[in-house]
Amino acid sequence: MHSWKVVVAGEGGQGVQALAESLALAAFRGGFEALYIPNFGIEQRGGVSLAMVQISPKAIGAPKFLLADLVVALSARSISRTRQYRGANTIFIYDSSLVKAPEISDEVVGLQAYDTIAPEAFAERTAYHEEGPVKELRIARSIAIPAADMARRELHPRVFNMIILGAIVAVVKMVTLEQVKEALAEKLERRFKADPQLRELNFRALQLGYEQVAGPVHTAV
Amino acid sequence: MPQTARSEQRSFMTGNEVVARAALAAGAEYMFGYPITPQNEIMHYWRRLAPRYQRGFLQTEDELSAGFACLGAVLRGKIAFSATAGPGTVLFQEPLSMAEMMRLPVVVIVQQRGGPSTATVIYSQQEVTLTCFGGNGEGLRLVYSTSSHQELYDYTIKAFHQAWRYRFPTFVLGDGYQAKMREALFLYNPEDRGMGAVPARPLLGHKGSNGNGEPQLHLRNAFSVEEELAEILRKHLADFDEAAPYLEEHEFIGEPGANLLVVAHGIVGRAAREAVEELRREGKKVNFFRPLTLRPFPEKALQQALANSNRSMLVVESAQGQLGSLCRLASGHEALQRFDTFYRPGVGITTEEIREAVTL
Repeated sequence: MHSWKVVVAGEGGQGVQALAESLALAAFRGGFEALYIPNFGIEQRGGVSLAMVQISPKAIGAPKFLLADLVVALSARSISRTRQYRGANTIFIYDSSLVKAPEISDEVVGLQAYDTIAPEAFAERTAYHEEGPVKELRIARSIAIPAADMARRELHPRVFNMIILGAIVAVVKMVTLEQVKEALAEKLERRFKADPQLRELNFRALQLGYEQVAGPVHTAV
Repeated sequence: MPQTARSEQRSFMTGNEVVARAALAAGAEYMFGYPITPQNEIMHYWRRLAPRYQRGFLQTEDELSAGFACLGAVLRGKIAFSATAGPGTVLFQEPLSMAEMMRLPVVVIVQQRGGPSTATVIYSQQEVTLTCFGGNGEGLRLVYSTSSHQELYDYTIKAFHQAWRYRFPTFVLGDGYQAKMREALFLYNPEDRGMGAVPARPLLGHKGSNGNGEPQLHLRNAFSVEEELAEILRKHLADFDEAAPYLEEHEFIGEPGANLLVVAHGIVGRAAREAVEELRREGKKVNFFRPLTLRPFPEKALQQALANSNRSMLVVESAQGQLGSLCRLASGHEALQRFDTFYRPGVGITTEEIREAVTL
């Protein structure tokens, strides 16, 4: 694929924006055009936090889009919240440890529990407006990562979003793990300095998530 | 003056930070502001950066004060600016009307949010009319509408230059998306690109030609006779019309013989440009026009573009016809073949939606 349109969604405090920003920054450092835009507004008050990232070798047009190439959901609510961005060509990564079984299957995504209505859905969109009960579209591929469980078991609960970011890198391929690590080091410079273990923890989480998608990676010691 | 940017430095940041860095690079000396989302980070970055370059910042008690403080600084010859949005832009109208009357070169960055009233803190293009014509007067203002971080940087710098050169209050009209999104741009020092200093100088306190100094300026804000006001307004309006050809800017993509002209400004211009470029690659005869100045509006350029597009246009904006009204007025006396609209007040517009809205 020559460019990526990515939607990342989760609960406020899960690090959705930091994750998306790091991805965009890594792509920028890698020489691509990158655009990151947060959906800001209600999320500080308990809504779903959503971010959009575009990566392209060419100039990027509108900051927002209707359908994503990759949708990433970090919480159960954000699965339904991001439904509108999933189409036939969309790859979907979700944290399976946060999601109840019936809400997900590999073919049909987000059948249950529409507990939030996407704000965008309030606005009439002529071309994509559907009447009556909403049909779920088939998507290209669904990737379940039990990130929260893995983080709790193997690392630390707070780095579960880095496991997801590692998985994103393995799918997107336009950025390398090294570039993402550099972006994180740049973004979290002060926190990494204050706590060098945090750096190691984040990088290991990235690697773990990456390997969940790409398979084990043997790095030279 | 210490340099604020390394030469041609490619950076990745939010639009609000871009504005603060552009104001620094342009040599702005003071910011007076009052917080409102989505422009707050302009104040935050400025406050953080300003002391390093001996620049000043004051948070006033409200937008009226911020506006009038800018006027005071400008009278003293200081390069001053503010930033606001939504209800803040409404409150700014009183000092800005005074700036129009007294020809004071204040610069204000407007990051549009949803309206009317508090509405959303997020995004819209609903402050076009307010920014162009919000005062109790004739809209003697210069308004730039940007569509990328590079333009936000370029035109914030330019706003200071043009404000002082022509002495009209000058606006950079952004929006919440531009304020909050991150993308790449080149930061540079204006001097490295051959731009001189902003031609700022004190407007008051001259000795007068009798004292062998500069002639004193008589800047009036109140008149007791109608004709007195009429005379000075005639002069201001004539100055504005005379300057217009040097101020107007636009972007056009296309060629003669097209069937439709898609018109959009600001961030929506990006979606419209992308949609038109896609359609053109598919062989569709569609042209694209984006006014970069909303005031003065690039009237002749729009008419030329319409002549190349079968006098048919589709206006796309995140407002209910604020750009549409400007376009209708600017389209000339000859009837339009088509005037289509895609209005989404307070909501973002995507490339896909514009493609769907184009019918040929």
